[in-house]
Amino acid sequence: MERMEQRSSFERLTLPHLDAAFNLAFWLVRSDADAEDIVQDAYVRAFRGFHGFAGTDARPWLLAIVRNAAYRWLSNRRRSANVVSLDEAFGGPGNEPAEAQIVSEDPTPEAQLLGAVDRGLVRSAIAELSPIFREVIVLREIEGLAYREISRVTGAPIGTVMSRLARGRRELRKALGRMMDQDKPHAV
Amino acid sequence: MQCDRARELIGAYIDAELGGDDRASVASHVESCAVCTRLAGDIRRTSTVIAGLGRKNAPVVLASKIRSRLDAEGREQVDRPRMPWRMPSSVWRQAAALAACCMLSVLVTWGVVTSSDRADGLQQEIVTAHIRSLLQDSPIQVASSDAHSVKPWFAGRVDFAPEVKDLTAEGFPLVGGRLDYVDHRRVGVLVYRRRLHIVNVFMWRARAAEDAAPMLAKRNGHNLLSWTKDGVIYWAVSDLDGGELKRLQSLL
Repeated sequence: MERMEQRSSFERLTLPHLDAAFNLAFWLVRSDADAEDIVQDAYVRAFRGFHGFAGTDARPWLLAIVRNAAYRWLSNRRRSANVVSLDEAFGGPGNEPAEAQIVSEDPTPEAQLLGAVDRGLVRSAIAELSPIFREVIVLREIEGLAYREISRVTGAPIGTVMSRLARGRRELRKALGRMMDQDKPHAV
Repeated sequence: MQCDRARELIGAYIDAELGGDDRASVASHVESCAVCTRLAGDIRRTSTVIAGLGRKNAPVVLASKIRSRLDAEGREQVDRPRMPWRMPSSVWRQAAALAACCMLSVLVTWGVVTSSDRADGLQQEIVTAHIRSLLQDSPIQVASSDAHSVKPWFAGRVDFAPEVKDLTAEGFPLVGGRLDYVDHRRVGVLVYRRRLHIVNVFMWRARAAEDAAPMLAKRNGHNLLSWTKDGVIYWAVSDLDGGELKRLQSLL
């Protein structure tokens, strides 16, 4: 009985954050199938440790576990030397079919104004960042987390979150500028 | 405020994450500096563009996949069939009570007699785990001298949040953490260094909540110090002398 209550309160607290969990895992490993595995694994782990969770906001707690699972997956992939993913081998995220159909909400009027920037370019630019910068960008810009929450997810102090975000944004602007320059002959 | 400093802070300023003084000085600087005004605009635009990508939403089936994984998890843990059980007659009940008393007394006696053996066994297990960790290439799975990357690593791996402190300044630099298996359970281990000595600190959740004062023991030339604090049992083991282990305990 107690178990059932625990199970239902676990689902009530964590399942609303399933999209956030998947989005973070996807951006860290950049594959639908792997992100699915990672999120399942993370939920099982979260459930095992659920009695240790005392807070009310499960999102940062859950995302921290998802992040751990994703990093574990990344380091396993690096360790198995004979498996090299295509985008690592060619150094470019541009040839990733998995990223082609990112679901998104309806664009705001402002985003439509800025629609000149190709979504594909933006995604490639984010993908080019190394994971520790990519995750703060995703958590801040897409998930809208406060710095304090990002700090709980990544385990980095708030000052570090701030400087990683500043650097991630700087690199992103540079990459976007470069890509748009390359793209100009076609775009105009 | 200098441009260099302002550039670092503009992002946090836009995110409304800056406190009083910083916020005011970034605001006044941006107003007076054309370069920084343009930078602020760029940051805002880039943010909008990224936010416009939206989330990559989870596939619809993922929630039900997770539910069935959790079902399987539940079955593993509660794997005893529930048999309907009828109340036996009073004679049987008395016999059962008597048998239970005998059983209890045997268990208590056995418990008293063997508890010292068990404590011995645990010490031996911990020393063995310590030595095994030193035989391997590395005693750690997550390397860091930064407590902030070791602590979250344990989230979801052990059923408590360990107290992780980097004690470099006190002469015990944190090397990292790992998982181990002691006393039939998965335990967290923090690895500290003292000069050339490695200290393994094993940790697991205590059943009882009260703290226990540190106790020193010696085994195979190793010193072991055990204590309980805030519901977590700690066992520190090393070839350091007992006094230095006590110092580490007082810092943790």
